[in-house]
Amino acid sequence: MLGAEGLGKRYGPRWLFRDLRFTLERGDSLIVAGENGSGKSTLLKLLAGLVSPSEGTISLPTGDARTSLGYSALDLNVYPHLTAIEHLLLASRLRGCEPQVQPLLERVSLTRAANQRIGEFSTGMRARLKLAIAIQAAPKALLLDEPSASLDQAGRELAEEIIKDQRERGACVIATNDKAEWRLGTHVLELA
Amino acid sequence: MSSSWRKEISALFVKEVQSELRGRSGLLNSLLFSLVTVVAVSLATFGHSISATFAAGMIWVALLFASSVALPRCFTLEEEQGTGDLLRLLARPHAVFWGKALYNLLLIFLVALVLGGLFLALVEIRGDRPVIPWLFLLSLLGAAGALAGAVTLCGALVAQAANRATLAGTISLPLLLPVLFLGVNGTRAGLGDGVLETGLTASIGLLCYGVASLAIGPYLFAAVWKH
Repeated sequence: MLGAEGLGKRYGPRWLFRDLRFTLERGDSLIVAGENGSGKSTLLKLLAGLVSPSEGTISLPTGDARTSLGYSALDLNVYPHLTAIEHLLLASRLRGCEPQVQPLLERVSLTRAANQRIGEFSTGMRARLKLAIAIQAAPKALLLDEPSASLDQAGRELAEEIIKDQRERGACVIATNDKAEWRLGTHVLELA
Repeated sequence: MSSSWRKEISALFVKEVQSELRGRSGLLNSLLFSLVTVVAVSLATFGHSISATFAAGMIWVALLFASSVALPRCFTLEEEQGTGDLLRLLARPHAVFWGKALYNLLLIFLVALVLGGLFLALVEIRGDRPVIPWLFLLSLLGAAGALAGAVTLCGALVAQAANRATLAGTISLPLLLPVLFLGVNGTRAGLGDGVLETGLTASIGLLCYGVASLAIGPYLFAAVWKH
């Protein structure tokens, strides 16, 4: 479903990582751990197609990557002048999937802020909206970079629920520094 | 064009318009720049008339700067505010280019109309013959098409570069020189100077230039969009 073969990324002469290999099937959840700067976020960006690998290959779920991959990260920004509803409508029209605006907003507890501009959102509310966009098309693979960062306790529980649901639907890759989150994974990949 | 393409392009166009109406950065800056230019020319030439050729040159200088203030922003802003990755995850590059180019076309046409109208209203223009409104409008429409095509392409190509400001200037020079040449000829004829046929040919040439750059642009953009 989702995998890497001999994957490596280099910035200038420095290799972030080399020769990564893994294959994830439905029900699998890969925890990517490592110190700051070890390349966790870069690995997720590679899998999402946002960065090109320096070597190796990536196998993605079948179908259009815009619907078969979901991605949420701390450094992924949303449009400050648009509302949460407008983001979900925009994403659905671009991906050609059902908008599911109300169910998604209820799921991430943003119903009351649905018509508020994102510029007025807190960091945690933005993280919830990014989670909603990531799962909107019911992706086969979900990539989450530090999913609990900036979320309150209820938000962390929501992220855990989303990960558990995703494992029933497909695979999940989670980059995290929080060892408590390792229990959400079926495999662990530690980057040096 | 399939309905999915139309949906994607219209979604991006609507997103650009919503952001512009709420952020008010591009259009307002361009309109203010146009107003200041026309008022300055009007004050400098108060009590005198200026030739249609000179007026056409002034209109094009103002139009060029007004568009360069706003148009490349639509791509560079995505990278500056960090939303480029969201767009890369959700949209196909051709749709992104056309959605933004459509928005730029609308924006620059509005600016060209306001700028042309202000020039005609506030500056006394002296030509070999009276103003030909349809040709003047055609040259402005051609200007909008050509500038939207050229500047969108330029903005798209440099958006992810570290030294994007320098690069934009370097790339835009060869792209905009033919536009300027055709544009001044078209507008001059519309304002009553020069040969009518030359003006008509130049205005149609501008439109063709716009169509060509909007047709080629997405393919160039797709090559740099994800890297």
